[in-house]
Amino acid sequence: MTSEVTTAQAPVTQRPKKPAPSIPVIAGLVLAAVFTWWAGHSMGFSLRPLIENWSNGWVVIEQFLSPNWPFIWRVWDAWVETIAIAIVATFVGAGLGLLFAFMASRVTNRSGWLYRATRWFLSVLRSLPDIAYVLIFVALVGVGSLAGILALILFNIGIAAKLTSETIDAIDRGPLEAVDAAGSGTWSRARWAVLPQILPNYLSYFLYVFELNIRSSVVIGIAGGGGIGQVINVQFSRFEYENVSAIVVALFVVVLLIDQLSQYLRRRFV
Amino acid sequence: MSAVTEPAAASATPTRPTEPSKAKVTLTWITLVVIFGGAAWLSNAKWSEITDVFTEGWRYLGLMGEGLFQNPFSEPWSGYWTLAFERMMESVYMAWIGTMIGAVISIPFGFLAARNVSGPVTVQITRAFLNLIRAIPELVFAIIIMLPVFGFGPVAGTVALGVGAVGTLGKLTAEALEGIDPGPVEAARASGAKGLPVLRWAYWSQVLPEVVAFWLYRFEVNIRASAVLGIIGAGGVGQLLGQLFGQREWEQIGITLAVVIVVTLIVDAISGAIRHRIIAGSGQHVSSKEKAEANL
Repeated sequence: MTSEVTTAQAPVTQRPKKPAPSIPVIAGLVLAAVFTWWAGHSMGFSLRPLIENWSNGWVVIEQFLSPNWPFIWRVWDAWVETIAIAIVATFVGAGLGLLFAFMASRVTNRSGWLYRATRWFLSVLRSLPDIAYVLIFVALVGVGSLAGILALILFNIGIAAKLTSETIDAIDRGPLEAVDAAGSGTWSRARWAVLPQILPNYLSYFLYVFELNIRSSVVIGIAGGGGIGQVINVQFSRFEYENVSAIVVALFVVVLLIDQLSQYLRRRFV
Repeated sequence: MSAVTEPAAASATPTRPTEPSKAKVTLTWITLVVIFGGAAWLSNAKWSEITDVFTEGWRYLGLMGEGLFQNPFSEPWSGYWTLAFERMMESVYMAWIGTMIGAVISIPFGFLAARNVSGPVTVQITRAFLNLIRAIPELVFAIIIMLPVFGFGPVAGTVALGVGAVGTLGKLTAEALEGIDPGPVEAARASGAKGLPVLRWAYWSQVLPEVVAFWLYRFEVNIRASAVLGIIGAGGVGQLLGQLFGQREWEQIGITLAVVIVVTLIVDAISGAIRHRIIAGSGQHVSSKEKAEANL
């Protein structure tokens, strides 16, 4: 419609030519479609059970809709344990993560081989899911919160180091030049030229890691790492869905509260 | 040195600025130590057993290594490698289909939760809903709805991943939409476009690269999350890992973990490369900019 109007006014105006479809994009889309089909086919994906077996699910959902509220207070110890696990793991994991972050940035680590080795180690560390760490540590130190803490520490190092090292890469080079000109060594360079610049970001990553640890408490507990997840696992295997749903709702509230708390701390300190 | 001493001698007041008080910093450190100590005590962890990590750890690591260095083409080992690879690919498929489901569902929610697209009431309601989904772990979705409906197996895990992805993807899409340049929207409105065409050609085309990058990122996250779902019987490599750890088959665990690490790293590398290409465009001027930064 617009083209008619413009041509009527000025006979010389031409519409720009439509760009030719890009071959890599089309190839990529076809590849993605084929992969999707293959993935769905090989696992026998079908949404039909959603309609056929809906009544099965509804029975469970009905039990979920009448939560057994007093149960939340009966497992008070498990709540304290979950929060304590998250705090310990965040302190140790994010603390070590800061050290690894300095080793994983070209800005602070001027040794080529150590830099590459750290990057490699961190990507291997990040490639394993948290559940794998819990399983490993449960096998090593037995079922209990120690296994959960150790697993979360390894998991947190990967996240904190990645986020912080990216921040270090992007810092202002001025202070670096200043300390270099004053002849500082690797440690004082990191402490006085880099750390003050990344501290606000690091604190917000610290809080983020803490939130993640609370969120993953379900996973940790189900694999035997202590805390509220262990309670969920026990109640789930006994088909006590009313108790599970009360805990899930309470966990949701806890996560929201911690979100609010960390937002407040971020505003206050960052 | 001499440059410093001369003006100091010349001026009458060579006082250094007084150091700021350290009381606040000390207080913060004391608080942190107290919190940490209290948490370490309240966590009920049996700290004395931490030595097992080093004694037992080396032994198990040795057993895992033994499994890795057996001839992978001889009898029981070749089967372990194939099984681990098949299950890991199942996890990748689960993550992919789950991300696809989440991506498709999250598009309308993203528009509904963007302040510059929808009204304030719709935005608040949609955001609350997205936050609710984000707060519930995939594991809970799987337990509540998916396992009873779909039965044990990868499909239940896939749908749980899909529903779980809606929360994050919807929020990220909404934030991307709020950050667009209003120019094209005005241009589209000025030329008489209304409703869907504006959303499609002014909003959506501006955020598409960013949103596709979020999808790929979510795919990387979902590969790890799908392992978690396996532990409750929702398919994938997690189910295999759970069984193996139960039986303490350390040689086979070593092989399986190696497959998980290698496949995850490869998928991350491919997905990361595509994300960078999508965000950075054709990459010619970007690569020169990166070089300039690297030289600094």
